[in-house]
Amino acid sequence: MKITYTWLRALVAALFAATTVVLPGTTSASAATELTFWSWRTEDKAFYESQIKLFEAKNPGITVKFTPYLNTEYNAIVSTALTAGKGPDIVQLRPYGAMANLMDAGSFLPLTTTSVPALKKLSPGILAAAQGYKDKKQFGLPYAVSALGVMYNPAILSASGVNALPQTMSQMVAAFEKVKKAGYLPLGNAGGNGPALEQLHATIGPSYYGGTQFFNDVVAGKKTFTDKGYVASLKAVADLAKYMPANYQGIDYNTARGLFANEKAAFYIGGNYEMGYFRSLNPSINIGWFPAPKATAGSKRYVGTWGDGSYAINSKTADQAAALKFLNFLGTKEFGQALVDEIAFIPTAPYVKINDQAVKEINRWVKTLGTPFLNVVGFRYENPTSSSILQPGFQKLIVGGTTPEQLAKDVQTAVASWYGPQKGKS
Amino acid sequence: MSKSGLKRDQHRAALFLLVPGILTIVLFTTVPALTTLSYSLFAWVGFQRGDFIGLDNFLRLFEYPFRDQFFMVLRHNTLVFIAVMIFQTGLGLLVAYALFKVVRGRRAYRTIVFLPVIFSLVIVGYMWQTLLDPFYGPINQILLKVGLTDWALPWLGDTRTALPTLVFINLWRWVGFPAIVFLAGLNAINQEFIEAARIDGASEGQIFRKILFPLLAPSLTIITVLTFIGAFEWFDLPFVLGGSNGSPAGATDTLALMFYRLSFGSVDSGANNVGVGSALGVVIFTIVGLGAALGSNLLRRREVEM
Amino acid sequence: MKLLANRTFYQSVLIINAILVLTPIFFLINSSLRETSEFSRSPFGLARNPYWGNYTSVWSGGEFPSYLLNSLIITGGSLFLIAILSVGAGFVLARYQFRGSKLVLAFVLTGMLIPAKLAILPLFIQLKWMGLLDSRIGLILVYTSAALPAAIFIMSGFFRSLPLDLDSAARIDGASELQLLRRVLIPLVKPGMAIVAIYSAIPIWNDFFLPLVFLQSPEKKTIMQGLTVFFGQYASQWGVLFAGLTLAALPLVILYLILSEQFIKGLTAGAVKG
Repeated sequence: MKITYTWLRALVAALFAATTVVLPGTTSASAATELTFWSWRTEDKAFYESQIKLFEAKNPGITVKFTPYLNTEYNAIVSTALTAGKGPDIVQLRPYGAMANLMDAGSFLPLTTTSVPALKKLSPGILAAAQGYKDKKQFGLPYAVSALGVMYNPAILSASGVNALPQTMSQMVAAFEKVKKAGYLPLGNAGGNGPALEQLHATIGPSYYGGTQFFNDVVAGKKTFTDKGYVASLKAVADLAKYMPANYQGIDYNTARGLFANEKAAFYIGGNYEMGYFRSLNPSINIGWFPAPKATAGSKRYVGTWGDGSYAINSKTADQAAALKFLNFLGTKEFGQALVDEIAFIPTAPYVKINDQAVKEINRWVKTLGTPFLNVVGFRYENPTSSSILQPGFQKLIVGGTTPEQLAKDVQTAVASWYGPQKGKS
Repeated sequence: MSKSGLKRDQHRAALFLLVPGILTIVLFTTVPALTTLSYSLFAWVGFQRGDFIGLDNFLRLFEYPFRDQFFMVLRHNTLVFIAVMIFQTGLGLLVAYALFKVVRGRRAYRTIVFLPVIFSLVIVGYMWQTLLDPFYGPINQILLKVGLTDWALPWLGDTRTALPTLVFINLWRWVGFPAIVFLAGLNAINQEFIEAARIDGASEGQIFRKILFPLLAPSLTIITVLTFIGAFEWFDLPFVLGGSNGSPAGATDTLALMFYRLSFGSVDSGANNVGVGSALGVVIFTIVGLGAALGSNLLRRREVEM
Repeated sequence: MKLLANRTFYQSVLIINAILVLTPIFFLINSSLRETSEFSRSPFGLARNPYWGNYTSVWSGGEFPSYLLNSLIITGGSLFLIAILSVGAGFVLARYQFRGSKLVLAFVLTGMLIPAKLAILPLFIQLKWMGLLDSRIGLILVYTSAALPAAIFIMSGFFRSLPLDLDSAARIDGASELQLLRRVLIPLVKPGMAIVAIYSAIPIWNDFFLPLVFLQSPEKKTIMQGLTVFFGQYASQWGVLFAGLTLAALPLVILYLILSEQFIKGLTAGAVKG
């Protein structure tokens, strides 16, 4: 009988509801502490869980639960949770401006070299990635340096007759053509994901706009985003569209990466953090890396880089001591080594030995050609961030919905609306 | 029963039975709604309230960069309302009439017609996202196999097709609702009128136009009002399929998504703007409230009651 | 037009509708029974040997059962509150004439116009202040409040349709107001309660937005909210994704197929007169 069913169900559920009030649910059993650890790196779940097991073995009485979230919604989820006073104990933080407002609001425990000795070994530039905007205390332990470059599949290149790594953009385009003729996709990159396009630009762009000199000029207000070089860098992205897979506008981030991982595409332009994902999809793949080609024969070569991500402790955590123990574990040499070996990150700590050939190569180039990832390092502190204009802007650009000049103007207007040294400039 | 007041026993019962319900509504619906209005009049840093700034947030909403976003999403929501009214309601009417006329298998068809309405938008969204995947999704696969390569588009990724595709998915999910409402309206019509008209020699078309459709006016009113409210508060489907930024490139951005971003932060940065967000909330509520009230008034006047 | 009078035309309309509705659903279920590796080879093949591994992956991943439980708790808890509060309020508003009863009814009606979404920020801050963030009880209270206006409206309509003689007879027999309600009237408005139950429960069960904002702890997440997390984690494991979707949809679909009449009546309650 339908009515009885409804009543019964409601009654049973009400009993459950009552138990949730009476029993104060969640954590804090008698002796064990459970720490919660949030991240946007769903790709790294297996890695973190295996590391956590190592930590738990050495620290009986503390367990850690790792929960990754969809990366596009991570910022909103974390900021809501922290404001609710309910966030995780350990938080993986985005670098620089993206979460600086949370730092300023006091959501995280300030760290010192006493509480987290690993901080001593890091350079000021790296440390800056985990400091607040207005409050310059150290809130996070940066764990990796990321670098942008061109990843390639050596097997496809030799099968297509590409015998030398491109040094200039025109050489790379020639390589694309050869690969296409041999029946492979030149680029795995696609247009379905704004941040991925932004990273593509940040890889090949610096050679067009003048690398670190331009970065310093824009930060100081001496140059603007409408500078010829910058506009040319935007155009370079649009020009690459024809080498992207068919229907690239609709191909999302994972499918695009899958194309490279499954050896259908010869090149993938982006960050070294993709390599762990490629390898997890296809453990047998061989990946090569070279820095982004020069815009023209006379330009300089650059490797976009930045302190990427850090680990922080929620200021409202129930057990600071346990949280600090875990954070210090994340700062150990062993963990750093695992980061390199297992997910191909470039560790921030200088004492980690890099065995992976590709990562070694990247690290070498970072030291000589490094230039800051413009948008991430400089312009995410207030709204509208340059990224918020560029991410959808690139999506429009590659289908001809806007021009490089217009996009540059839009970025300039956005940044000038809040960034002091650029105010009033166009 | 006495009309001048309540007896004591009834008085107590009224308090005991009525007040909890009303109190709940006041506490968790009315007060928050009024508070949104008050929030819009203050400055905010994150979730900390600052000084009273009067209508400044509303002015800010109509300045760069919010103004451009606002008019774009307003245009999107309006287009969606029009498209849904024409296609969803139109098809709903067609299906309702079909259910009305067809006798064999009527119950089965009715169950099927209404089935998508019970699915959560999350399920519908993800289901269609995988169906429409440009590489592996079956729809494009079939189009390619049949040789219609030009039609195998990235439906959800192309800025030109993204919004119409969302409307189509919305339709798939919702058509059953107007269909059932219209069907109930059709069933409520006195069969004798129809019989009489048939005996008088009227064609099916004339019967529909002169008798059935006018008598469906109340159903049409309520569907129009509900569709209007739904179109201007559209959130779930665009959020699941395009994220809070209305990917690709804002093509699927809506008023409600913009409201969400302003309240809780967006993809690239966690920074939010509660003041402008609340102002936007007030604007959305005004649009919906006015539209619903005006619409139902206008349409009600045109209803024919027999 | 001849076409519009043709019965076969309408048969075809319904058949096409059935195809359009059932094909995606069939694809969903079919794909959930295939291994992920098969998809790159043949995206649209039939699952010849049903592979149940996807379902075990979803279920044993650990979160799904807890999502299901949370959805049950929240929906059930809300239904319980809604039933009690709407019956009480509906009874009083339908039966008692007192000064202001019209005003209260009007107040309840306007409550239907206010969507929880737009008041989300004050609700967030208010629940925080009340200590009800990240709590299922908090969510239950918000859902109840959102569903009450319509529920009260429906219930008062049902109460109004009952003859007043019943009241007088019961009162003459010495019944108190509560006894009148419980013993005499409630059994008679049970159809209304069923409608209210369905009309309120389905949107609550299907909602993912409020849990997204108000529930932070992973162990409290509901099924629809969990799906968004689930899709982030298993992004390219198609077989598992489809299994997750099917599992999430199953409870309501089964209920619907058994009680389709009531579902249809219940969900269109606000729109259909009488």
